[in-house]
Amino acid sequence: MFSKAPERCTAAWRIAIWTTLAFAFGTALAFFIVYFVVEQGFRQRSDAWLSGEAEVLAQVAETTPRDSLYDRIVEEVAELATQEVPGERNARGQRLNSVFFLQMNPNGGEPLWVGPGPKEPVLDAIRSAQFSSGIPQSLYVSGWKSSYRVVARMSSRGGTLYLGLSDRDARHMLHRMMYRFIWVWCGMVLFGFLISYLSARRTLRRVERISETVSKIGSDDLSTRLPEGHTPDEISRLAHTFNRMLERIRTSVNQLRTVTDSVAHDLKSPVTSIRGKLEVALSSPHGAWRESVADAIEELDKMSQLLNTTLDLAEAEAGALRLNRSVVDFSQVLGHLLDLYQPAMAERHHTLHASLESGVAIDADLPLLNRALGNLFDNELTHLPEGCQIEVQLRSRDGSAELAIADNGPGFPPDMAARAFERFVKGEHSPGHGLGLAFVDAVVQAHGGKAQVADRRGGGAIITLSLPVAVLQNV
Amino acid sequence: MGSIADYNRPTAPMRLLLVEDDPAIQGFLKRSLSEAGYQVDAAANAKSGEQLALEGIHDAFIIDLGLPDSDGLDLIARCRAQGSSAPVLILSARRSVDERVRGLEQGGDDYLTKPFALAELLARLRNLLRRRAPAAQDSARLQVADLRLDLIRREAWRGDQQLQLTPQEFSLLEYLVRNEGRVVTRTMILDHVWKMRIDPATNVVDVHIYRLRNKVDPANVRPLIHTIRGVGYVLKGS
Repeated sequence: MFSKAPERCTAAWRIAIWTTLAFAFGTALAFFIVYFVVEQGFRQRSDAWLSGEAEVLAQVAETTPRDSLYDRIVEEVAELATQEVPGERNARGQRLNSVFFLQMNPNGGEPLWVGPGPKEPVLDAIRSAQFSSGIPQSLYVSGWKSSYRVVARMSSRGGTLYLGLSDRDARHMLHRMMYRFIWVWCGMVLFGFLISYLSARRTLRRVERISETVSKIGSDDLSTRLPEGHTPDEISRLAHTFNRMLERIRTSVNQLRTVTDSVAHDLKSPVTSIRGKLEVALSSPHGAWRESVADAIEELDKMSQLLNTTLDLAEAEAGALRLNRSVVDFSQVLGHLLDLYQPAMAERHHTLHASLESGVAIDADLPLLNRALGNLFDNELTHLPEGCQIEVQLRSRDGSAELAIADNGPGFPPDMAARAFERFVKGEHSPGHGLGLAFVDAVVQAHGGKAQVADRRGGGAIITLSLPVAVLQNV
Repeated sequence: MGSIADYNRPTAPMRLLLVEDDPAIQGFLKRSLSEAGYQVDAAANAKSGEQLALEGIHDAFIIDLGLPDSDGLDLIARCRAQGSSAPVLILSARRSVDERVRGLEQGGDDYLTKPFALAELLARLRNLLRRRAPAAQDSARLQVADLRLDLIRREAWRGDQQLQLTPQEFSLLEYLVRNEGRVVTRTMILDHVWKMRIDPATNVVDVHIYRLRNKVDPANVRPLIHTIRGVGYVLKGS
């Protein structure tokens, strides 16, 4: 009954995807907030150290007399300051050169430089940047791997003093944190996906079981109920709602049957007795009454036919038709019916062309099918003006038996084609009661098929029935 | 022309039990069945019906399913349980295939839906009673007046003139001849000749009869096939 849908089309899959996406986005956002806060913390710490040391150096530079020893003293102090930086030396005691010191000479002489490598790139970078005194800012030196936080101090004796601290440690730490997070994050996302997929699938399995059970409940077995489960969750409530709905359907089907039965009984009994009495009257010797009595019987027969069709239709539309199916050769069934209808068609000068593909088997309730097809041919007989062409074509296509009955008559009145299968829908001058096609539709649907009507392009109407093909056995 | 019942008179008097609660239907059935030569006992409910049935004197039962005190099917089942083997013709207002199958499963032998033609009731009743009697000699030839049918070669003759009939027309004629002197309805013809339980809204059967009659009854010969308006057709020799 249920074809297995591809996995990615299931609701469980979609739910898992969406929850995982939301989860992944949320955790990533939380990490970036933490990352940002930690980075800010590092920066504030290094900026505080830079400002303090720059203050000290500036004081030393200001208080030291400008003599030949000035450079040496300041250099010494700067050297000392760099050694205070944690992690300045690696495990083997090598300097990692994370600090530089630069003092511009106000007299245009050679600047004082303590730091790794040549001073020229730093000088270039500092000259192209704008510094305000005492406020640390980032400086990117071309050719160096990491950026520096640099604080500038204007000296009252002229010249500017720059102290730089590498971001390298903070960067390293933040990178390590980032890598670890990415690994943990991937694991978490995968795990979250699995958990949400499995739990959604478990839940939706219950829903699927419900829909499978419900789809198996046919109109002839409305007493089946769904298991409601012990925990009163949404799915149990769904099952409960279905059960209540089934109960209501069962009640109304039963009511319908009761009403149908009582209408049938109430109307058919008087018709039977009237008809019987008329038949008795017909056989009495008063010849003068004979004609009118016979007329009355014929009218009565038309009335009981309407009554019967109405009741059959009510039953069929309520899905209460119980089919006594057997595998039959559709072309034989049609051939047999055409044998019956052919003389009546010839009488009205219709030409009948039948092309019936043989061996097209269908699993059908033969009496019902005969009545439905008979209705279609009756239709052709009553609605076509004399001398039309009727084409009956049966062929099997894509696992269904397709029967097309086409004529070159006046076709359906405008706006009727779409509603032709509704009850009591009929052409203005149609002599029928408008139940024939509704009955055909109900029978075809009960057999799992489809009926369609349309106007033909060249004029006339075409009625198509398609029924599922069965495997022909014992032939 | 005599009464319809005249065409259907059984050879030996048979006793029937009719269980039907509608007094109007009971009335005309009783009258028509008596006219057709049956002896009829009637009951209006299941209880008195059962009492009559257990006397064991009836050749056949006609039982309506919608009885006031119990379902007709129960009555049939009770009669069967008590050893009654007389054939049962079920009358019902419900005509779904389902009902029919249930009725026949419960011990009914034939099923007729209301409203029905009297001719059909009589034909079905006759069938049921004949089923019990030893089968009549199934001859290879049938003859009515100067109409002769050879069932083996499937040829028909009127006087010394062979009739050119299609296989279908031959089957139809055979059915009419087999029911010589009895009225057959359109429904009966469809059921027996075409094996279809359909109820055409058009004159399909009449056209077949009309064509057959053109061949069987030429202009200068005394006609054999007669139309009984409002009922059906009858083929009779005299």
